[in-house]
Amino acid sequence: MEQETQAQTQTSASPAPAPTPSSATAPDPAQPLSRGILSRSRLRSIYKAAISILLALVVTSVLFIITGANPLVAYYYMFYGAFGNTNFLIETLVRMSPILLVSLGLGIAFKCKVWNIGAEGQLYIGAFLGAETAIFFGNSPLALPASIVLAILGGMGWAAIPALMKTQLGINEVITTFLMNFVAIDLVTWFVSYPFRSTTADFPQSATIPASAMLPILIPHTRFHLGIAIALLAALPLVYFLMAKTTFGYKLRVVGENPEAAKYGGINVKKTIFLALIISGALAGLAGLFEVEGIQFSVMTSLSPGYGYTGIAVALLGGNNPIGILLSSFFLAGIYNGSVNVSIQLGQPSGIVSFIQGVLIIFVLGSEYIMRFLERKGVFKR
Amino acid sequence: MPLFNFFLVESTAKNQPIDDSMAVEDTVKEDKTQVSVSMENSNYAIYVEGITKTYSNGLVANNNVTFGVLKGEVHALLGENGAGKTTLMKILSGCLSPDTGSIFVDGKKVHIDDAMKAVKLGIGMVHQHLSLIPSFTVTENVALSIPLPGRLKLDIIREKIIAVSKNLGLEIDPDTKIEQLPVGLRQRVEIIRLLCQDVNILVLDEPTSVLTPLEVDELFRIVRGLKEKGKSVIIITHKVKEALVVSDRITIMRLGKVVRTLNASNTNERELASLVVEGFVPSTNGTKGQAGEPALIVKGLNVKGNSGRLAVKGVDFLVRSGEILGIAGVAGNGQKELVEALTGLRKTESGTSIMKCCNLANRPPQFIIKKGVSYITEDKMKRGVILNLSISDNLALKCIEQEPYSKNMIVNQRNVDSRAQDLIKRFDIKASDPCANVSSLSGGNIQKLMVARELSNGSILIIAEQPTAGLDVKASEAIHTKLLELRAKGVAVLLFSADLDEIVKLSDRIAVMYDGRIVGEFISGSLDMQRLAKMMLGSTT
Amino acid sequence: MTGLTIAIAFAASCVTFACPLLLASLGETIVERGGILNLGIEGAMLIGAFSGFLGAYFTGILWVGLLTAMIGGIASVLLFGVLVVRFNLDQVVSGLAINLLASGVALYFLRVAFPGGGYPHLNFLFQPFAVPLLSQIPVVGPIVFNQPGFFYLAIVLVPIVFYLIYRTTFGLRLRSVGEDPRIASYVGINVSRIRYTSLVLEGALVGLAGAFVTLSQFNTFDTRLTTGLGFIAVSIVILGRWNPAGALIASLIFGSTEALSFWGTAFLTGPQASSLAQLLTILPYVTTLVALVVGGRMSKGPSALGAPYAKE
Repeated sequence: MEQETQAQTQTSASPAPAPTPSSATAPDPAQPLSRGILSRSRLRSIYKAAISILLALVVTSVLFIITGANPLVAYYYMFYGAFGNTNFLIETLVRMSPILLVSLGLGIAFKCKVWNIGAEGQLYIGAFLGAETAIFFGNSPLALPASIVLAILGGMGWAAIPALMKTQLGINEVITTFLMNFVAIDLVTWFVSYPFRSTTADFPQSATIPASAMLPILIPHTRFHLGIAIALLAALPLVYFLMAKTTFGYKLRVVGENPEAAKYGGINVKKTIFLALIISGALAGLAGLFEVEGIQFSVMTSLSPGYGYTGIAVALLGGNNPIGILLSSFFLAGIYNGSVNVSIQLGQPSGIVSFIQGVLIIFVLGSEYIMRFLERKGVFKR
Repeated sequence: MPLFNFFLVESTAKNQPIDDSMAVEDTVKEDKTQVSVSMENSNYAIYVEGITKTYSNGLVANNNVTFGVLKGEVHALLGENGAGKTTLMKILSGCLSPDTGSIFVDGKKVHIDDAMKAVKLGIGMVHQHLSLIPSFTVTENVALSIPLPGRLKLDIIREKIIAVSKNLGLEIDPDTKIEQLPVGLRQRVEIIRLLCQDVNILVLDEPTSVLTPLEVDELFRIVRGLKEKGKSVIIITHKVKEALVVSDRITIMRLGKVVRTLNASNTNERELASLVVEGFVPSTNGTKGQAGEPALIVKGLNVKGNSGRLAVKGVDFLVRSGEILGIAGVAGNGQKELVEALTGLRKTESGTSIMKCCNLANRPPQFIIKKGVSYITEDKMKRGVILNLSISDNLALKCIEQEPYSKNMIVNQRNVDSRAQDLIKRFDIKASDPCANVSSLSGGNIQKLMVARELSNGSILIIAEQPTAGLDVKASEAIHTKLLELRAKGVAVLLFSADLDEIVKLSDRIAVMYDGRIVGEFISGSLDMQRLAKMMLGSTT
Repeated sequence: MTGLTIAIAFAASCVTFACPLLLASLGETIVERGGILNLGIEGAMLIGAFSGFLGAYFTGILWVGLLTAMIGGIASVLLFGVLVVRFNLDQVVSGLAINLLASGVALYFLRVAFPGGGYPHLNFLFQPFAVPLLSQIPVVGPIVFNQPGFFYLAIVLVPIVFYLIYRTTFGLRLRSVGEDPRIASYVGINVSRIRYTSLVLEGALVGLAGAFVTLSQFNTFDTRLTTGLGFIAVSIVILGRWNPAGALIASLIFGSTEALSFWGTAFLTGPQASSLAQLLTILPYVTTLVALVVGGRMSKGPSALGAPYAKE
């Protein structure tokens, strides 16, 4: 009875590696805790994610049915467009990179229950600041590293404002971060329409970044640029390390689960929240910069089709945990690219991506309910 | 949820075998003071027979309780925490349903399904935690419980309030907001609300626990007024003196059973105290350590409670290294606020608490923990453990930032895990796997986990609040042994417990806390149990 | 055109822009008084605007559009309501999910309904209605009494909502649920029913707000028309201290900033004119943020706002 009333276990799987289902034997002294990947709780989280995805796809098929298309055909085109051949696959990886970076940051924030809805704005600010820094440095070898530093600082700074409003004034961060999005996008739009406008292009955009700042392509004849490698090989392991192996990651977990106990345990809750927010801002800023330096080569008003919001869906689906986020961002990137293919093949209009994200979030939220329902009905063992 | 709260607040009693020595039948011997409790006497406003209630964790809260309240009578239900008083009253007011037994209201057998039904039958309860909405006025709060559809006719309700309060000689302005009223008046509002609902049997749960002495007199005046109007009032209390002052008859409960029902006029404090707190033989004390220098000196500490009024009133005491100071007292006399102030979780209004020449008052918890203070909290679910994290993670709370568990912010998971393994073994925590969530542990094991963590931090001072709550005898013994070991090593221990046996067994000195003050102190060798029991219950003779 | 004429026209515009904000924030006030934080109001307004536009476009009757707008608004808000009241899912995230959902639905069905691309136009709108006599009053008349019907409706609704919240039994119960749903349920109040009722009312109001945008203010439908209005409405509720009168004042202020950014070109002259005009688009949001910093802390809403609650 007690456990039922308290344990509202969420989708998060513990970032620390968990052992395989234990037997009653004494632990081996040389290797005290066997650490496998597929523990019971982890498996359960995977099931929950899979169920959410399945249900989201089912509900989305209603959209297709309404317009007279066969959902299975539509989904075939979607998955083909995402993963069907090498080119599409690489394009999905290209698309995945900004989503991954944003979601990693959001995973950190969400882990301690700070709802950073402002990733989109932090992305724009970071991108703009970084790009202009690169332009400033021109063809010097400093251009790229300096742009990265400034992008990170820009994203952090933009997130610091709502962070301070939360810790010092107690103002709900959801509203403030969301409003900051508008300010950021409109500001950047203005910057590239007037003071920093490119002198050569027709449409409002910033000057083209210098060649020294353009991210080299790693796979010839594709758009697979260095930023993607940095995201996968540097950012991802770093965030994983931060969350699983550092005292900061520990504090994140405790503050997110029980801020009262965190305070009792001597953790500075406000500092933890602040740091979580600005780190997520930093990653969003970096995501924006890589889009500019790897794909678009100048700051445009259409920099991001909503990656900041996609990141929310991905972080939730991935259980705020870097590996889950990696898989989920790959999946969502596939949805993005796949939907383009569906549009081309079937003439289906846009909006699918937003719709799926919305439905997905709802099902992720309700996945605990659904899981328990299924367990009660015997579909899964408890 | 309500059941669980009950478990935390009410039951500090361990699952001991049921004491048979004071069964109801025994009291028949002393007929002169015993009022016969039987259905034949049809002047009963309410009468219950054979009520039994067992909670899902095995606790027998009410054990074959038979009890009756006459019409126009003030009846005190007296006993310590965990005696079963509140459970019985919750059954009467519809919040809980009994496993067995019958309830008769006005001679007719009834089933009380919910609070609404209880009110219809004329039974209403004023809970210890008042159920008024603070930002609403008196009128609005009363209006909530009186359904009048459509337009809010506050005037009608206002008039009724004025009429009812005048009838009782109360003065209340119906348009004041509850949050502006002192607690004593808030209670009055609750009573008025019940009267506006035409309740005939009012149950007051520990009404004086939040009142000043003056307010207590006022309350008793109101209670007597109610009695004159023919209402019955049941007062749940642990305070012997007050039971004697205000009630006509007193029923004493202990460990879920009715011990006796007496006429107030035929008894005295001493007799009542001995019925409430059974005499017992304290087990032998461990080897005394050498009490050394004072580890913690508290002077003139004043701390406000949640109601805004002082809960700790000018408390002075000190704890020496190698000594256990036990604070005896019924829960709710300021102990919680005192502990929170000492551990940095609550603001101190004035006074000092000095450890190693450093004043800990109003410092953040991190600072106090670093100074060497461990704290076993009684709020284990809300504060002491993090349910959705692993056992390993929980055991690392408070020490994660120290070597060898982390260095330069990098966690040494192996050391954390081996500490977890070590503590699991040493404290006999029944856990199959340190990476399992704490939520999978039983309540008793969660307690052990928290104790294990706090007792192995290498601290100078341990503040232990109900350290053996929910544990069986063997586990309690183990923890007592650990505390005594630490004492022998020179650690200072400040022990808060509602279990007198535990306090007496472990403490070198015992201080009694009542109404926010230290009202007496005893040294372990020269212990007068009678006096101690009386002090705990507010008696000053 | 004299300076005064321009000023009057601008002031009238401020009032017009305030109107959808007022309608939406009145609805959100009701719901938040019951303890629910509905961030999905953004999406609901979008759907309201969209369904209103569709209704009017395909039937040719503006009043049908009004009806469909309200239906759309209610449907969106009720979906949110089910997630939050029935399933007790996190209010904040559920609201965001609704916004994404709404965005997707609007984009998708816009192309389904108008396959050719481009922006469909309505050839008729709810025109401003000049109140006889009153609109003749110098200065004040043209500003206040020459507005579309929505505005008069909104103004009338302010005291009605005020009465509802503070002077009816429903309002008392609503407020008690917003303060402490547990205590309210002890006293016998059906928390779910009260909350659902408040959500339906909000849905209707938000639908109307959306309808105003597409059926009166602008003669086309574009998803960007309602962007940000929902969140500004939530901020208005906070700054208006959860009180309809406060919502009125705050709506006028924020409506003015919207009007300012819209009118920027009319006022500014010189080589920097268009640049500054575009910069003004951030004004409403910056104002909101600053107002939150200045006034947000002192504002203490219903105690149980946003808190999860499950029937015990």
